[in-house]
Amino acid sequence: MIAPSELEAPDHKAIDSTKPEPIIALKDIIKSYTMGGVEVLAIRGISLIVERGEFVAIMGTSGSGKSTLMNIVGCLDVPTSGHYRLDGVNIRHLDDLALSRIRNKKIGFVFQGFNLIPRMSAIHNVELPMTYSGVKPAERRKRALVALDMVGLGDRLSHFSSELSGGQQQRVAIARAMCTNPSLILADEPTGNLDSRSSAELMSLFTGLHDQGRTIVMITHEPDIAAYASRVVVLRDGEIVSDRPQGTSSAVSYELSPSGRYSFGDSGVES
Amino acid sequence: MASAFGNLVMAVRGIGSNWLRTLLTMLGVLIGVASVIVLLAIGTGSSQSIEKSIESLGSNTLTVFSGASSSSSSGTKIRNSTLNTASVSALSNSLNDPDVKSVSPVVTTSVTATYNGSSYSTSVIGSTASYLSAENYTVSAGRSISHADVADRAQVIDIGTSVASALFATGSDPLGKQIQLGSSEFTVVGLLASKGSSGLSNQDAVAIAPYTAVQDQLTGESASFSELLVQGKTPATLSLAESEVESTLASLNDTTVANLPFTVIDSASLLSTATSSSKTFTALLGWVAAVSLLVGAIGVMNIMLVTVTERTREIGIRKAIGARRRVILTQFLIESTVISFLGGIFGAFAGILVSHFKIDGVTPVLASYSIPLALGVAVSVGIVAGFYPAHRAASLRPIDALRYE
Repeated sequence: MIAPSELEAPDHKAIDSTKPEPIIALKDIIKSYTMGGVEVLAIRGISLIVERGEFVAIMGTSGSGKSTLMNIVGCLDVPTSGHYRLDGVNIRHLDDLALSRIRNKKIGFVFQGFNLIPRMSAIHNVELPMTYSGVKPAERRKRALVALDMVGLGDRLSHFSSELSGGQQQRVAIARAMCTNPSLILADEPTGNLDSRSSAELMSLFTGLHDQGRTIVMITHEPDIAAYASRVVVLRDGEIVSDRPQGTSSAVSYELSPSGRYSFGDSGVES
Repeated sequence: MASAFGNLVMAVRGIGSNWLRTLLTMLGVLIGVASVIVLLAIGTGSSQSIEKSIESLGSNTLTVFSGASSSSSSGTKIRNSTLNTASVSALSNSLNDPDVKSVSPVVTTSVTATYNGSSYSTSVIGSTASYLSAENYTVSAGRSISHADVADRAQVIDIGTSVASALFATGSDPLGKQIQLGSSEFTVVGLLASKGSSGLSNQDAVAIAPYTAVQDQLTGESASFSELLVQGKTPATLSLAESEVESTLASLNDTTVANLPFTVIDSASLLSTATSSSKTFTALLGWVAAVSLLVGAIGVMNIMLVTVTERTREIGIRKAIGARRRVILTQFLIESTVISFLGGIFGAFAGILVSHFKIDGVTPVLASYSIPLALGVAVSVGIVAGFYPAHRAASLRPIDALRYE
């Protein structure tokens, strides 16, 4: 983990020449909304570093600001103030076109509601992001086949999303997120609509991706799902209240982990 | 764009997801396009039939009426001038009027013709032999009235096919029969070939006799004619003939061309007047049809707005995974264009089909420009009507669109 002071170095690209730049570098992020004329602070100053190859779970109750944080990290929304660098690219002041290109190339989304496009077969859904980035049809097809095979749906290529179970739909979504070879896989409550068995299957997929060296950020409110991650960040009222690593293989919930070793002060991102 | 074909496939799939709604929207465009084609065909058909009937009147003739047209009458020097045999012989002089082929005096009246108990109300034209050729009448049986008939004041007559069929039973030969016109008897010497019914009048409901006999028996002896029919040598020199006629008549009546107490009308100007009025008529029909096409366009826009709202979430997903504004815009524009283009194609077929039937007595004639015009308008309708909904879709913020239930 990098101390926040390093972020303030004049040349952001050369924070540490020996170390690769983190995938996510958030600094003093604030997001406020005006609802009915009243200003609501959804995120009140979050700084967070996610290194390449980490599997981070972001936890919190509803209203803790985790969805807002996920939208900012996913370049779906821009912060009111603060700095955000994604894989070395400063996200501030980017226009709509540039943001869509970043989302397309650097981020693979997995949503709670699966968010596949109806009336499109599984393979077409997987091909869609590559269509937008201009990958040639033959290459597109090849990569989509590999990705669907990897999630175990090599025999469901032409099924429509209405013909697939929830777990299968979410695996199609993972294949879609994977096939552009993104810097970051961003999952928003990926097991929220799944039964426990499908959830376990899905999480083993994520674990496998993590083992391959993928960077994964997952938002969840379920402790047993967060237990699959290598690091757990807890939000409350728009602020980080806990940030600690945990053993990847352990399925124990974070309450049982030796909390004494990782106090708030250790996290290095508290301001 | 690499995914143009993919976009088309998506558009068709999107359209297919709600067939009934899409078909009804297409029907709006279909009716619009079909009515453009049919109404323009009706306009073209009726203007062609008007032109044809005017041409059949004789395309290189001048008609001289007594009485000045209102614009040229100066008020102070009105002469009670008449068209008489002196006028005819002056105009027939080829030295003064080298471009005049023939001059026929015309006396017209309307009488009831009877034969053997059958009667028929017809117009009788008293003239000379040259009248028939000037008016494009030909004799299908018997002979035409001759100069000798005119000189002899012979009570002979050529009758049109409508008169013949009304008075004589089918199979019987009218030639040589005596028909009663008013209180006088005329001998049928010729049958006129049918010129067909024009949009203006039935040109077969006529009988042509020597003007001398008509004056003797029907209108009463008079030195004047109601009009003179002047045939020019060629259609190209008709305007030359017109000025020659005017100056000859002016010198004959001791006046100037500007104060001429006669009105000279040439058939070409009649034709151009009729043509321009029928063009106005066609354009009017086209505008009426354009209104229905506009209604169809509103239907397309309406359905595209509904589609965009319904597919807000899909738009959110697409934007989240990297679709640019332009991709979303194109997708919905293609969809609306496909709807209106298909509507246009089917509308063109429907329009062509309907144009084969006679509508209100008019035989529609397909205007060659109307099909590409209607299709072009249909495609533009799709693009224009689809633009606002597509723009709305493209401008959606991905997080709002993803949150949409």
